[in-house]
Amino acid sequence: MTTERLTRCAVLAALALAFSYLESMFPLPLPLPGVKLGLANIVTVFALYALGAAEAAAILLVRVLLGAMFAGNATALLYSLLGGFSALLAMLLLRRCAPLSVYGVSVGGAAAHNCGQIGAALLLLGSAAPLAYLPALLLVSLFTGALTGFIAALLFRAMANTNLMKP
Amino acid sequence: MTKVPELKPTRGDALVAAAVLLLAAVCALRFWTPMAADAGAPEVVVAVGGEEVERLPLRGAERRYTNNGYTVHVVVTDSGVRVADADCPTRDCVRTGAISRAGQSIVCLPARITVTLVGGGGGGYDAVAG
Ligand SMILES: [Zn+2]
Repeated sequence: MTTERLTRCAVLAALALAFSYLESMFPLPLPLPGVKLGLANIVTVFALYALGAAEAAAILLVRVLLGAMFAGNATALLYSLLGGFSALLAMLLLRRCAPLSVYGVSVGGAAAHNCGQIGAALLLLGSAAPLAYLPALLLVSLFTGALTGFIAALLFRAMANTNLMKP
Repeated sequence: MTKVPELKPTRGDALVAAAVLLLAAVCALRFWTPMAADAGAPEVVVAVGGEEVERLPLRGAERRYTNNGYTVHVVVTDSGVRVADADCPTRDCVRTGAISRAGQSIVCLPARITVTLVGGGGGGYDAVAG
């Protein structure tokens, strides 16, 4: 990994951290503290295409760990860990599927993110009660996924003329 | 690995969105209807740390449950149930307010306590979990 690549990763990790801090100020009206919209997935989408899978995973891990440190909250760690990596995994798979744009990949990622978070709630509570919120969260993920895709598309258009997209 | 993605929505994207919608619908049917279809008097099921500890009929009652060092004060009325007070840090359980329909639940994550309203007739949310 070159210094330049490392710097890009660091900048994106900082950006992802800013997004997760931003969304922590708007908690969802659910009795499941820790469940987030997943706005930080914008960075994962972008990093996945612009830098690659390994870099996207590294940025995600840094964001999740630093985010939990700043929040000082171990339950939040499990939520963002499961949510973030479910999203990354889903987007890695969807990216390989032929006719998908950044929107489809983002929507799939957002849905996986929310499934991962419900998974975290199931683990933490040891009860099936959080499953009742999955349908609503899946509907929400359609909107957050579309929003994430839209912002990522804007970024890629803006970056098209720079050399950031070159390996 | 570097490539610019397709930036305009495609038909494949619509398929992804449809799949998410379908999953939401399937989950809703799977997790909501068994309780709605449950006949009989509604009951309040209290679970502590994932274990069911008490079932209460929907009539005036008050209980305190302590787990993980936090105490949750549950108030049952004829029309529903609420967490009136709790000393957990986030107090999301208190802010949830009263629940009155089968299938709804109040969750206190710090205390690992769930208060679920089921449609009676046995089963409870364990039946829902499959
Ligand atoms: Zn609570």
